[in-house]
Amino acid sequence: MNPLTTTVQETGTGTVLRVAGELDYSTAAELRQVVTGLTLGPDRPLVLDLGRLDFCDSSGITAFIVARNHATAAQARITLVNVPGPVLRVLHVTGLDQVFTLEPGTDTRNRGAAGS
Amino acid sequence: MDVVSRNNVTVAGPEDAPVLLLAHGFGCDQNMWRLVAPALAERFRVVLFDYVGSGRSDLTAWSEARYSALDGYARDVVEICEALDLREVRFVGHSVSAMIGVLAAAAAPDRFASLIMIGPSPCYVDSPGYRGGFSAEDIDELLQSLQANYLGWSAAMAPVIMGNPDRPELGAELTNSFCATDPAMAHVFARATFLSDTREDLKKVTVPTLVLECSQDVIAPREVGAYVHAAIPGSRLVTLEATGHCPHLSAPEATLTAIAGFLGNLS
Amino acid sequence: MSRTDPVPDRPKGEATASTDAAFTALLEDSAEELYESAPCGYLSTLMDGTIAKINTTLLTWLGRSREEVVGRMRFTDLLTVGGKIYHDTHYAPLLSMQGSINGIALDIKKAGGGRLPALVSSLTKTDSDGRPLLIRTTVFDASDRRAYEQELLRERQVAEGARRRAEEDRERLQEALAVLQSSLLPAALPPVPGMEAASYYHTASPDRLGGDFYDLFPLDGKRWAFFLGDVCGKGPQAAAVTSLARYTLRAAALHDPDPVAALTTLNTVLHERYAAGDPRYCTAVFGVLEPDGDTVTVQLASGGHPPALVLREDGRADYLPTPGGLLVGILPTAPFTPARTVLAAGDTLLLYTDGLTEARTGDQRELFGDDALRDFAAGLTHTGPQQVITAMTGLLNSFGDGLDDDTALLALGVPTNRPHPVSDTPT
Repeated sequence: MNPLTTTVQETGTGTVLRVAGELDYSTAAELRQVVTGLTLGPDRPLVLDLGRLDFCDSSGITAFIVARNHATAAQARITLVNVPGPVLRVLHVTGLDQVFTLEPGTDTRNRGAAGS
Repeated sequence: MDVVSRNNVTVAGPEDAPVLLLAHGFGCDQNMWRLVAPALAERFRVVLFDYVGSGRSDLTAWSEARYSALDGYARDVVEICEALDLREVRFVGHSVSAMIGVLAAAAAPDRFASLIMIGPSPCYVDSPGYRGGFSAEDIDELLQSLQANYLGWSAAMAPVIMGNPDRPELGAELTNSFCATDPAMAHVFARATFLSDTREDLKKVTVPTLVLECSQDVIAPREVGAYVHAAIPGSRLVTLEATGHCPHLSAPEATLTAIAGFLGNLS
Repeated sequence: MSRTDPVPDRPKGEATASTDAAFTALLEDSAEELYESAPCGYLSTLMDGTIAKINTTLLTWLGRSREEVVGRMRFTDLLTVGGKIYHDTHYAPLLSMQGSINGIALDIKKAGGGRLPALVSSLTKTDSDGRPLLIRTTVFDASDRRAYEQELLRERQVAEGARRRAEEDRERLQEALAVLQSSLLPAALPPVPGMEAASYYHTASPDRLGGDFYDLFPLDGKRWAFFLGDVCGKGPQAAAVTSLARYTLRAAALHDPDPVAALTTLNTVLHERYAAGDPRYCTAVFGVLEPDGDTVTVQLASGGHPPALVLREDGRADYLPTPGGLLVGILPTAPFTPARTVLAAGDTLLLYTDGLTEARTGDQRELFGDDALRDFAAGLTHTGPQQVITAMTGLLNSFGDGLDDDTALLALGVPTNRPHPVSDTPT
């Protein structure tokens, strides 16, 4: 099993949080903690890059909801990018694909580089 | 349930001879009979055993609920009689086992032919109109003595008690190993023994009975021997010139003579 | 002292001789002295216990004169009553069987009324024929040791008591958990005319209250309501949400049994209750059964819950899609997607929680998945709710460690008129 790893990158246009590994009941708390520690605002949107997320089950998506609540409270936009197919399926079943803005195939690495 | 191995039953003597069932008392095990058993086995089918919780019995068969009262020990006796299909049993009970024999004979009257009670006492604690020889405080003191001496008892002892044949050296190391007992089980047996009152059960004895007492016995004083003798109609009382509570160890010849005399008169 | 090798280059001189002489003198001089004032008590008794000889050390400890003791007292007269019983039931028999006994803790009574905790050992001296003549006994002062042992003993008793209490507490807690857990699920499913119902609940851990729930209950004599859901998270906090969800849905159904309306009520209640702080939400399917002749009409709605499976009498197994229904409780208002189907004789509706589809299987720990579930269910058509649940239970058990979530199953079906072919029953 791959452990969960998170990488935070501050760019000129906001915060990119890259989530890699496996997100389930046992690791969701870890992501929640990272997410709620981020400073967001109307001009500091959050991008969750899930491109290297190998696994995510329904308890794992709790962390996305916490991220959304945290962003909403700060009046920040939140976007999920590079959502893998299986994660997309979970978002679809739970109806969360309507709640989050999804951007397929964005290369956040380049965007981050361009912004700095 | 294999009662024979549970109670570490050993049998000696001619197969067709009358059955003599020897029951040890509180504090030891069937080793207590070592000075009298060989002589008895010349004329009798001698059956020895350890109560569950004593000697080399199967300690896993022990439960506090069953062995908190003398009835539980009497069930051991009856179950041994059933397992070996013993009939016409001459029961020899030392100390508390004398009363356990009374209870067993009442529970399975068709199996017992006579009772030999060595140092019996139906009640150790004094009560109005009765002198057993001890106060409740004395019994507490005994329980403390037990605890003080079981501090040395440890898990290392268990293989010895359970009869672990792979480690015979353990038996040699432990000098006081004959009567080694799990402290919790000994405590329960001590309470069952010294806090019981089976005076009423003496009335139920219907078989010929010998009461064998020592002239100097703190645990079963002569007053108590006389009480038991009086309470069992037709019983015979023999007083041995001996000190202590174990005449079969301290005066084996006299004990044998008394037993043989009693059983000889019966046959 | 070895004298077999005299030192050759140093002849036996006066110094060596005088050392030897002093040594011999010391040893000879000390025999009686050693006995009388040894750092331990000595006594010798006849076989009946009568004290025949006793040393000064022990007399001093006892606070008695030699005349009082020798020939007049027995060894057991020096003991407390409890000690006497112990002596006669343990000490004397052991000594008689072994010829010796070592280090027994006994209390010695002093003349003044005090007690001396002692460690006592005895040895039987026998004549040339092996007959016991007398008993030699040593008595060591064990006051300090006994105090320490008492301390150990008391600590052990305290620890034992604490362990027992902890065990009792644990048992009580287990009982409380079991009662709470059972309050989250119906004790038994009520009979629905013309229908069969079966359910199963798999608990991932007996210590952990589950977050899955389901129910089936009558509405108005003609209709029955059912629901099945999954609260996010585990443990007591999740169980509290489960309880709230179950009783809210039951009450909402009596007020307005429309499935979307019932889920909307639950959404409002959960969002209001858990808006602040840790988000708590659930997925749920709520539905109403309306038997009509040989068929049963099912109206249901889903909030973020995996789609129900319908096993048809003709051998098909299909999902009943409810796309777009949102998790219940995360937003103040949420969309819930209704769906409708009709169950005819031999059809079964299967509701499940995602513990089933998210079980991890095989070497790669792949998710069991929707397709595998549909394929497995297709093999169960022609059976009936009870057999479906039995087969699903077997499937869950086959996941072993791969199933680490609670899983609830609820199957509702219309019995078929034709007999169940035995060969179709999976093993």
